[in-house]
Amino acid sequence: MDFKDYYKILGVEPTADEKAIKTAYRKLARKYHPDVSKEKDAEEKFKEASEAYEALSNADKRAEYDEIRKYGQHGRPFQGPPGWQGRGGGGFEESAGDFSDFFSSIFGGSAGRGGNGNPFGRGQQRSAGRRGQDVEMELAIFLEETLANESKQISFQVPQYNGAGQQTGNTTKTLNVKIPAGVTDGERIRLKGQGAPGVGGGANGDLYLIIRLAPHPMFDVEDHDLIITVPLAPWEAALGTKVAVPTLTGRINLTIRPDSQSGQRLRVKGNGLMDKQGQRGDLYAQLKVVMPPHADEATQALWKTLSEKAAFDPRANWSR
Amino acid sequence: METSRYVQLDMQAFCQATDMPAAFVIEIVEHGIVEPTGRTPEEWLFDDFSPVIARRAAKLHHDLDLEWEGVALALELLEEVRDLRAENAMLRQRLGRFIQS
Repeated sequence: MDFKDYYKILGVEPTADEKAIKTAYRKLARKYHPDVSKEKDAEEKFKEASEAYEALSNADKRAEYDEIRKYGQHGRPFQGPPGWQGRGGGGFEESAGDFSDFFSSIFGGSAGRGGNGNPFGRGQQRSAGRRGQDVEMELAIFLEETLANESKQISFQVPQYNGAGQQTGNTTKTLNVKIPAGVTDGERIRLKGQGAPGVGGGANGDLYLIIRLAPHPMFDVEDHDLIITVPLAPWEAALGTKVAVPTLTGRINLTIRPDSQSGQRLRVKGNGLMDKQGQRGDLYAQLKVVMPPHADEATQALWKTLSEKAAFDPRANWSR
Repeated sequence: METSRYVQLDMQAFCQATDMPAAFVIEIVEHGIVEPTGRTPEEWLFDDFSPVIARRAAKLHHDLDLEWEGVALALELLEEVRDLRAENAMLRQRLGRFIQS
């Protein structure tokens, strides 16, 4: 068990007054709240700050902590002063929310304000069992998979409890889930009772799947439409051509008219994504004129002839 | 296994799903944080994602000492940030395809 310097965690001096501690905590809480923050270890940092604030915001606890702090250094193993017993030994108390062993060893177990604790009356629920936690997870789906009902196997971790309601570890749950056709990015699917198990006769939590459309190597998504970039040689754009354009399900022949422009979009009806009613959006082929990488002498000569014949100034509107 | 996308929860089921007392739920609804259909709490029907939003709201309210107005604003802004990030990622991807050869 490592010693935690709560002042360091909050970024305040050990002499800081109550107000400064509160301000420091609030700033960190806003920054690292798991529902707000994008940072990777936000949840850890939020818990750490909550724990620090729990210890330092109460004058008695703070005095007790200050006494113990004389014997510890942040991040180093902590034994406490000679003869020190701490309060964590009993093991009867409800665990200290999500607080660390270090916290419980000093202050004993107590339901703190941090972590995943339910902010509402705990006692009342315990007698009637406690509802299992909901589990939220993202599920990546390929664009091709949104066109039909797909079965997907998913695995996720749920906490496991013993008869006394203490968490004993995690267990992996595996489910086969039917993903309905026409799902969109960010859509949530609720699977009732498939979250963490309830404790003491409480109901199971729910599982929420958040659909994420996996980025496609060729297609971009715009609502129910798809966009594909179609590279063309300059002469293809100039003279027109036929291109076999990939779709989600195969290929279609697309006619490129003479004098096509780079950036131009051509609509291929009904080859986009499916909506909930089973209607399909469109596929847009966006043209992109690409120059050949290098030209030999003969080709250079042809370009030269062209430049003389075409008399084209692409920057004509600059000279106004 | 069947998915249940169109499930609606009444007040009792909602309170159970969120572990929240009814008074609390009423407050959250009054601030427009979740929007059930129906006029009175007895008639309210919540969609099945509302419990997640309500619990997120309760956590922000509790963890950050925010008033409900602040929670409502934070949730709205978070949603907007999420949408903008998604749009930004999509536009970047489009741009990338057009710039790279």
